[in-house]
Amino acid sequence: MSETRKWSLHILVIPIIAVLLGMHLALMHYAPVFYGMSVDKAREYSTMIERGKSVAQFVIYILLLIAGLYHGLYGLRGILRELPLTPTMVKVVDLGILLLGLAIFALGTYVTWWTFNAPLGG
Amino acid sequence: MTDKKQITFRIRRFDPDTDSIPHWDSYALNVPEGMTVLEALHQIKAEQEPSLAWRSSCRMGVCGSCGMYINNLPMLACQTQVLHLNTDIVTVAPLPNYENIKDLVPNLEPLIEKHAAIKPFIIHTNSKEIDEPTGEFIQTPEERESISQFTHCIKCGLCLAACPTVATDPFFLGPQALAQAYRYTGDNRDNGLHDRLEAIDVFHGPYQCHMAGACSQACPKGVDPAFAIQLLKRTLVLDSIGFGKKKSKVAKVMPLADVVKQIEEFAPPPRTVGN
Repeated sequence: MSETRKWSLHILVIPIIAVLLGMHLALMHYAPVFYGMSVDKAREYSTMIERGKSVAQFVIYILLLIAGLYHGLYGLRGILRELPLTPTMVKVVDLGILLLGLAIFALGTYVTWWTFNAPLGG
Repeated sequence: MTDKKQITFRIRRFDPDTDSIPHWDSYALNVPEGMTVLEALHQIKAEQEPSLAWRSSCRMGVCGSCGMYINNLPMLACQTQVLHLNTDIVTVAPLPNYENIKDLVPNLEPLIEKHAAIKPFIIHTNSKEIDEPTGEFIQTPEERESISQFTHCIKCGLCLAACPTVATDPFFLGPQALAQAYRYTGDNRDNGLHDRLEAIDVFHGPYQCHMAGACSQACPKGVDPAFAIQLLKRTLVLDSIGFGKKKSKVAKVMPLADVVKQIEEFAPPPRTVGN
């Protein structure tokens, strides 16, 4: 992928993150405003598991995971690549960032999928 | 007779044959109104320090040779009047972000290499028309205006000296080369964007710009390289999604002989092609 496309994607995910993060905030931190539910209740295990069974929430969190990971790791790559690196170190940084992203994505997806399938009551 | 003011010039000295690190020397000079830093250096060299080295040529802000770090800002010595600096002590050092060859002489090779890398010339798809032109390429005043300021670059290198990204990332193409990349890709006669992608569509290309804007402040010719970098980004992004600027493959004027017939009262410009 050309640097232009990588950078464009990095910019493009910003509004996506803003919308999805807004949904996350509404679900988790502004539950009293949007759902008439106390914050403590919104963060209870049973409530979260129940909410996690929603297909919409599953999709929202997977998308937020992808968008947040891409945006954050592209930024991290930019910071690291500004260091005086040899060509070999550049490859190590790029590969390391890719592997780190895949690992976090796998973990995040597993947690979201587990929640989606978890029996009510834990 | 004009009033003179005594100014102390603190000049950073470095001779690679004798010095391991640079040092500062001071020279006092009675400076009249209107004297430039370059003229002051000439007077110091003539009267006090014959070994002082710097690079200069035109003395009128055209050649871009005399870029220096004057009172901690990159400036052309020939365009900077000493008394306008409003300081009793004037510090003069070589441009930062470049290797120091001697005294006030920077090594401008990185500037030239980066400039050459972006292919700073018109690239046209019809190479036959370039080699054996049958007419002249049209450029309207509006088309010229869209790139006009970027054509004023004199390759003095002050923008690279001012750029904080160049300071931390020596591989960054820098404002000069990127502004020139836009100057040519934005030219309606040019079809060379894809020929330049290898040089500009890279990590150390336009996306590495931190948008500090120091380059635009430093430019002695009023060029706004920071703006050019943003325009170059837009050009690259639109091209990457298939909305690149469409340019005519052959944009030529009609034969000038016909123009002469139509406009009898005005003399046309002399033919440059076909004689």
